[in-house]
Amino acid sequence: MKILVADDSRVMRQIVIRTLRQAGFEDHDIVEAPDGAAAQTSVNEEKPDLVLSDWNMPNMSGIELLHALRAAGNTVPFAFVTSECSDEMIAKAEAGGALFLISKPFTAETFRDKLSDILG
Amino acid sequence: MTNDVTTTVEVDLDMIAEQVWSAFLNGGEEETIFAAPDTGAPVDLAASVAMVGAYEGHLVVSCSHKASRDVASVLFAMEPDEVTTDDVGDALGELANVLGGNVKSVLPSPSQLSLPRVSATGHERWPGTVEVCRTVVRWRDEPYVVTLLSGGPSNNAQGV
Repeated sequence: MKILVADDSRVMRQIVIRTLRQAGFEDHDIVEAPDGAAAQTSVNEEKPDLVLSDWNMPNMSGIELLHALRAAGNTVPFAFVTSECSDEMIAKAEAGGALFLISKPFTAETFRDKLSDILG
Repeated sequence: MTNDVTTTVEVDLDMIAEQVWSAFLNGGEEETIFAAPDTGAPVDLAASVAMVGAYEGHLVVSCSHKASRDVASVLFAMEPDEVTTDDVGDALGELANVLGGNVKSVLPSPSQLSLPRVSATGHERWPGTVEVCRTVVRWRDEPYVVTLLSGGPSNNAQGV
């Protein structure tokens, strides 16, 4: 499977990718995007099987990215990895069609719990 | 909007810092002291995120140049002498972002978190703010001062 990791922080993209490996998901292809707009382009070009996106990014936020994808008819499985996990944001994410939110800081165990059903 | 001064803000900065250090910085007991004494040691860099909305303020992490390189080194999984200035800014900014996001979740809502900014402490000012609480994490024998500020206009972190 191909996973798109979208986060404006280069170090956080590395941490997410490292944690995917530590969680046992090392055999998947990873593509990266530094903001929501780049992620939208990448979804169209790379056709990932899963998007793991930060919420707060320049150019296009994670929730704007999700809305744009769904408005264009794209149903790629989408989850947020974000430092903010308020009830309001969870409700917005679910209403927009996201699977779930993973809050930062996270561990490999969190990734296994949340992603095993999708990534196998 | 400014914060209602009668609103009591209760934030357990120690617990939030412990969660972040434990998950991302391998904060074992042997190298990390939470709620460490504030020795007032000079700090060189400040990373901050602003909160705008029902709560107005800033979450600031301050530390020395060496401490910032240590954070970048661990987060990027590189040797300390290999990290660049950009690496340090990214890593310290993300540390503030994660701490700020978790702090925001226990503050009055709705509010929004800004993107992080990092600059020399000598150039950072937050006029019109008051300190709500602070904690010091001592990691690898370096202090990291985590401070929650309240008030001030949303864009009042004036870097030079």
